[in-house]
Amino acid sequence: MHLLLTYTILGLVTGAVYGIAASGLVLTYTTSGIFNLAQGAMAMLAAFTYWQFRYGWNWPAPLALFTVLVVLAPLLGIALYVVVMRGLRQTADVTKIVVTIGIMLGLIALAQWIWNPGVPRTDQLFFGNAAKFKFLGVYVTDHEAIAVGCGVLIAVGIRLLFTSTRTGVAMRAVVDNPALLQLNGGRPERLAAFSWALGGALAALAGILITPISGGSLDVHVLTLLVLDSIAAAMFGRLRSIWLTFAGALFLGLASTYVLGYFPESWEWASNFRIALPMIVLFVVLIVLPQDRLRGATLLRTRERFTVPTIRSAVTWGAILLAVVLLLEQVMDSSDMGSLTVGIIYGIIALSLTLLTGYAGEINLAPVSFGAIATIIVFHLGLSGSGLTQRITLWGLLLGIAVTAVVGGLIALPALRLRGLYLALATLAFGVFVSDMIIADIAPHVFPIFHWKYSIFPNGTLQIPALKIGPIDLSSSKTFLTASTCIFILIGIGLIALRRSNYGRRLTAMKDSPAAAATLGQNLIKLKLSVFMISAAIAGLGGVLLSSATGSVSDTTFIIFISLALVMLTVVGGIGNVAGALMGGILAGTAFQALTSTFTNLSTDHGGGGFWSVLSNLSLVAPALVGVSLGRNPSGAVPDIVDRYRPLWQAKGVLLLGVMAEIVAYLLVLTKVMGNWWLVLATGLIAIALPAVGRLVQPEAFVDPVKKSPGRDRPTTAPVAMEVVVESVADARP
Amino acid sequence: MPVLEVTDVCVAFGGAQVLSDVSLTVVEGGVTGLIGPNGAGKTTLFNVVSGLLAPKSGQVKIDGHDVTKAGPARRARRGLSRTYQRLELFTSLTVRDNIQVAGEIRNTWGRRGRIDVGAETDRILDMVGLGDVADREVSELPTGRARVVEVARALMTQPKVLLLDEPASGQTEQETEAFGRLLRELVEERDLAICLVEHDVGLVMDTCQHIHVLDYGVIIASGTPDQVKDDPVVINAYLGAP
Repeated sequence: MHLLLTYTILGLVTGAVYGIAASGLVLTYTTSGIFNLAQGAMAMLAAFTYWQFRYGWNWPAPLALFTVLVVLAPLLGIALYVVVMRGLRQTADVTKIVVTIGIMLGLIALAQWIWNPGVPRTDQLFFGNAAKFKFLGVYVTDHEAIAVGCGVLIAVGIRLLFTSTRTGVAMRAVVDNPALLQLNGGRPERLAAFSWALGGALAALAGILITPISGGSLDVHVLTLLVLDSIAAAMFGRLRSIWLTFAGALFLGLASTYVLGYFPESWEWASNFRIALPMIVLFVVLIVLPQDRLRGATLLRTRERFTVPTIRSAVTWGAILLAVVLLLEQVMDSSDMGSLTVGIIYGIIALSLTLLTGYAGEINLAPVSFGAIATIIVFHLGLSGSGLTQRITLWGLLLGIAVTAVVGGLIALPALRLRGLYLALATLAFGVFVSDMIIADIAPHVFPIFHWKYSIFPNGTLQIPALKIGPIDLSSSKTFLTASTCIFILIGIGLIALRRSNYGRRLTAMKDSPAAAATLGQNLIKLKLSVFMISAAIAGLGGVLLSSATGSVSDTTFIIFISLALVMLTVVGGIGNVAGALMGGILAGTAFQALTSTFTNLSTDHGGGGFWSVLSNLSLVAPALVGVSLGRNPSGAVPDIVDRYRPLWQAKGVLLLGVMAEIVAYLLVLTKVMGNWWLVLATGLIAIALPAVGRLVQPEAFVDPVKKSPGRDRPTTAPVAMEVVVESVADARP
Repeated sequence: MPVLEVTDVCVAFGGAQVLSDVSLTVVEGGVTGLIGPNGAGKTTLFNVVSGLLAPKSGQVKIDGHDVTKAGPARRARRGLSRTYQRLELFTSLTVRDNIQVAGEIRNTWGRRGRIDVGAETDRILDMVGLGDVADREVSELPTGRARVVEVARALMTQPKVLLLDEPASGQTEQETEAFGRLLRELVEERDLAICLVEHDVGLVMDTCQHIHVLDYGVIIASGTPDQVKDDPVVINAYLGAP
């Protein structure tokens, strides 16, 4: 009884903190329609800032709390809304999610920059460990009592805000129809900013409360994930009800402490299970949620624009890419070749997103985790030989891909009847689950009767050898690079062919208007399921290649943040284009890594010059900044670049000149007159110079591209927008 | 024989009763009008019939089959097709692809009754008069013509019942006239059953054989155009009490 009470109190405390974080999520989602995946990172940043004030600079606790909770956190919330979120209107779901991912990754990088992860930091309980009182025979610390008290106050407070104040009622109106609210004299902008301020403060409070309870040591990733768990609670409340959100939070908190307390010690997986529990709960909630109403397309188009190339031009560009890679192989050393290979393989995984998100409008936040599943299957069932001659067999690879497709189907199935956001969260839950339970399954279990010893991820690292298909052996880095490039090109051309087929048109129809596709007789669930399985299969293939290219893989290879970064960079490159996937993959695998290491090397060479180390840290934050800027250009970088260089087709002479210059630079490198980095530099300069030179020599080719292609990015006409408002008013008649 | 039968349908949004015991039938080879002031519940009724919205109570039958529990796709397979008051076009596709994809969806229903999508698309483009804009992006069209694309798309599934939700709004006078001719042609040649929601009185009077009047979620009058036109209850609903 005594023990039960101890665990119950601990569970209530954890639940209260989950509830606080989750109510912040619900608040910002209801008023701005943006699901803030950065909530956990905001909590993390606040916990670090509080530590800095309280323990770093020895401020008194009330002052430190006031500064973080009342001043800095709300300011961060407002700043995020004003600078970033406001610009996301009329963008697709994926753009909105990716921007919050960008903020999450940016805040993580920022925190690691300011607070060196190598230095241990700990938070203490409010009023210290000694401050406790006896409640029903159990000791409760003041800190725990404060956490529960805050939870109750906030639950009641937000409920009152929503139901009994003008501001709260208006806040609920914002998400339904901002235009209508504005007509009635409401101020949706101000309300949304207010809710983001409140959301920021709630995240901060959750972060500061939970740190000492969960051991006290501050870790950037752990804290971010801890608060991310509160998503499950928000789902309980269907992103609307504050009561249900808190009920879900308490359930989560209690369940996780009971697992800790009552699962037999012989179940080694129990501690992993406890960590993974919120994500398992999230998944179960998704299964039992009632079906949403089918969404129609809004009359106003989303701002993303993608053009589909012809098969012929796809084949041409594929040949060019292969030629470039073959030429580069002649001059690159093997470590550069290795990182280019990894980049192109990330590109293959990104292609799974091009199909799923770009063509079908569904979201997968954990593509790399699907790669992990395929890798594990291949490791256990798909290897032949031993030692240096060990290889992945073709059948092993195919089995890995097939299993991944089936797993993908099983994961997606419960979420397919729901809105796109729920599928995204289901995949996120899956990704965290894979990290917490499957990859963390490193110690062998013994099966009771047969005395088999078995673990899914033995010893925490898997050695994955090269692939061998018939006579083709990918053990040399050059062949591996060529093969990866060919696979990328083949899948890319395949996707473009798919997009142009009747299947691809049906995907597009479903993306543009699910309601219209359904009333024409399209079985949406079947279509979504099929496309999700194909996409998971591609991610699985990419995952096996990635593991094989890396040689040995561990938990960090498949951590959820890598998936999130890849998703973000692919959207930055252009989620609707095969070239965007290549760009996203290369950015994820090669470019930023290379950039960082360049700056880091420079900073050590120059005796720790402050400037270079700042630059190297900045280059870690950079991807996030790029992600955040998506609001301005939601179609991604590739369509932009294509537009900039298109006029050069008219200025053939200039183009030829550029190609010649590039060839000369390449030959100089090939004959070792110049170093490799000069080739990169020369290519960059030529790329920048070409349009400028073209404009000088043949200005008539460079008329405004917007005028040349009517219909691209044309703003919707005012009468149509007016019609929406008028219809909304008409609909509102009781 | 009625191809569409709606019996005692009730819908409430929160506390607001939007449809109360609405019953109506649509017969083949004719145009049935559904009129009423803004906010009367016409589009809500269409959403119930096409399966986008579950009614609180009541029954929907298509071609003699009870489809009350079925989803939108199953109803389409029973022969229902519709257009939308707020356009629901596939905005990243061209006009031709918008229509063609409907035929391609039709061909996923099963082996029976597969159609030659290419030829059928050309035929329908020609019939509704969209041939000149077939390869344009659908988002470039003015609203009036975009509505015709929706009708053409709905026809590609070869429906038995066609629900048209304000197809003439945003059309010019000539476009509306041509549209009226198209409707009569469809009814005569294809034996189609059409249910038309429309505010253009001329179009309704010219094309409908039977009219239901909906106001505040209740059918207040039914009959031929002439009967409905002179019904004091209808006049009251539109213009207020004399």
